[in-house]
Amino acid sequence: MLELGEVIVNCADVSVFYGDTRAINNISIDIEKQSITAFIGPSGCGKSTFLRTINRMNDTIDSCRIEGRVKVDGEDIYAPSVDVVPLRAKVGMVFQKPNPFPKSIYENVAYGPKIHGLSNNKNHLDEIVEKALTRAGLWAEVKDRLHDSGTGLSGGQQQRLCIARTIAVEPQIILMDEPCSALDPIATSKIEALMSELSAEYTIIIVTHSMQQAARVSKRTAFFHLGDLIEYDSTDTIFTNPKEQKTEDYITGRFG
Amino acid sequence: MLVGQFPSDLEIEGRQTVLILLAQIKNISNGIVVGQPDIWILESAEKLTSWQGISNVIISSLAAAISFLGGLYGVSLIKPEFRARNSVEVLLLAGLAVCSVIAIITTIGIVFSVIFESIRFFKLIPPLEFLSGTVWNPEFEGAARAGSGQEGRAAYGSIPLFAGTFLISIIALSVSVPVGLLAAIYLSEYATRRVRGTVKPLLEILAGVPTVVYGFFAALTIAPFFRETGVLLGLDVASESALAAGFVMGIMIIPFVSSLSDDVINSVPQSLRDAALGLGSTKSETIKKVVLPAALPGIVASIILAVSRAVGETMIVVMAAGLAANLTANPLDAVTTVTAQIVTILVGDQEFESAKTLSAFALALTLIVITLVLNFFALQIVKKYREQYE
Ligand SMILES: Nc1ncnc2c1ncn2[C@@H]1O[C@H](COP(=O)(O)OP(=O)(O)O)[C@@H](O)[C@H]1O
Ligand SMILES: [Mg+2]
Repeated sequence: MLELGEVIVNCADVSVFYGDTRAINNISIDIEKQSITAFIGPSGCGKSTFLRTINRMNDTIDSCRIEGRVKVDGEDIYAPSVDVVPLRAKVGMVFQKPNPFPKSIYENVAYGPKIHGLSNNKNHLDEIVEKALTRAGLWAEVKDRLHDSGTGLSGGQQQRLCIARTIAVEPQIILMDEPCSALDPIATSKIEALMSELSAEYTIIIVTHSMQQAARVSKRTAFFHLGDLIEYDSTDTIFTNPKEQKTEDYITGRFG
Repeated sequence: MLVGQFPSDLEIEGRQTVLILLAQIKNISNGIVVGQPDIWILESAEKLTSWQGISNVIISSLAAAISFLGGLYGVSLIKPEFRARNSVEVLLLAGLAVCSVIAIITTIGIVFSVIFESIRFFKLIPPLEFLSGTVWNPEFEGAARAGSGQEGRAAYGSIPLFAGTFLISIIALSVSVPVGLLAAIYLSEYATRRVRGTVKPLLEILAGVPTVVYGFFAALTIAPFFRETGVLLGLDVASESALAAGFVMGIMIIPFVSSLSDDVINSVPQSLRDAALGLGSTKSETIKKVVLPAALPGIVASIILAVSRAVGETMIVVMAAGLAANLTANPLDAVTTVTAQIVTILVGDQEFESAKTLSAFALALTLIVITLVLNFFALQIVKKYREQYE
């Protein structure tokens, strides 16, 4: 059985439905704090859907319904009393396609701190922006053009800008849904290096369809298939000594 | 030909009579007999009828012959090496090109005729007077302006007209922009699919109502309502007021603003909303801080298009705002607009050469320039906006 350190996300019997079709079947999983967990599996198996239950982004889809219990930091995030606004500040998200706002680089990063009132003066906001961009490994590249549009950056820079925008609100958990699938190998390796650095402070859950990427960056790996969690273990075990036949078939490239 | 058949003793009293006689003959040959025409006229009519019969036969046999020959030619062309598809393509292409050229040439023709007539107008009235004069009164043309400088001479200062147009447009915009924009936000961000599916077409029906209907709605319902409300409040509201016309015009252009803005807001990528929501924005923060700013250029463009609609609108103004060219900023007064003046100038009879008639062309020219500039900017903005999201 998998030995985990401190647990930050605890899911029990989670099922997700789109209308009448079930996309996730009774998944229970614990996510370790301040480490990188990868979700892998063939496309359409429900990785994104499951990831989005952790910050309740599925709420934005009308037909989507969820059963079961998800706890973040010991708090049931689907309890009626929970406000999604602070939840999403605490559980940030980076999307598959870089999606900077059509605003300046500075405004992109300052957006979150502004709406959450994290800063009350310009100097402090400047500091937050600089710190976030520095941690996202983008500061050196953009410090002279903070007021240029964020959409004018290259794809890899845009994705790092999105990461900077996410960490500027000081989340505890960062959900990344295939953050590198739209990027070239060099930009990908930069983001991977960045993730390893960030994992010292943040809990990162990354969905990826690249098994090499999961093997390179993550400490734990969960393998999904058709809405089921097939196997969840340390990344080493999953890739060298999987217990389930399906997992082995998938990582050896026999399907998927 | 027929004229050659006229009795030689008939005194030709000039072209006029001949034409009248010819018309009479034609009528008779068509079976319309008035009074007791002369014998020779009846004969001529008979002749005309028979000629027409002959010419009909000739025309139909010619047509038959041509189509037969054409058919033969077509059949003779059908050989294995003949590429019919290519020829059809060429023909189609030519047809399409001709149609588009017709459209372009007509537009150019209209613009040029307006320009030439305007030049004639500006020979009579200095452009400076037209553009900067504050009195519009073309009615006194009879009192020769070249004459003694007497009172009651016509004045062609267009400022009151443009001021009236401006005032009414502002009123129309202050009705249509908030209502249209909020409706667009509701439709695109909050309404369920079903509500959107019914409300949007309904709004677009509003855009299809003929403006004359809005016009009498303004004149018969809204204007009296405003006047009576004014009386209750102790305000002096003219029975034809800029307010009534502007208000109804605003209602008329709501669908333009809402429909275009709704499209623009919808075209803001969902990924931007996800990004904002993912950062913990509320729905209204997402709309205010991300969606609307991203859609702003498109919204501005839709407003500019609405303005050019308002500027060009005529019927409502003619019916509800009056025809008095007052230079005023008071929305409760009667004002008139450029388009409404063009209508009054050209309705009724007047000499074509007079400055009054020509002034309509000068007004039209100015109006064309203004709306062109507005549309140009709107399209420019929309283009920029498109590029932003590929
Ligand atoms: N918005 C949606 N509405 C309906 N069905 C959806 C929606 N999003 C995803 N699905 C369905 O849920 C299943 C899981 O999708 P997803 O979570 O995107 O898979 P993955 O990220 O692993 O590729 C798929 O069968 C997909 O068709
Ligand atoms: Mg996915």
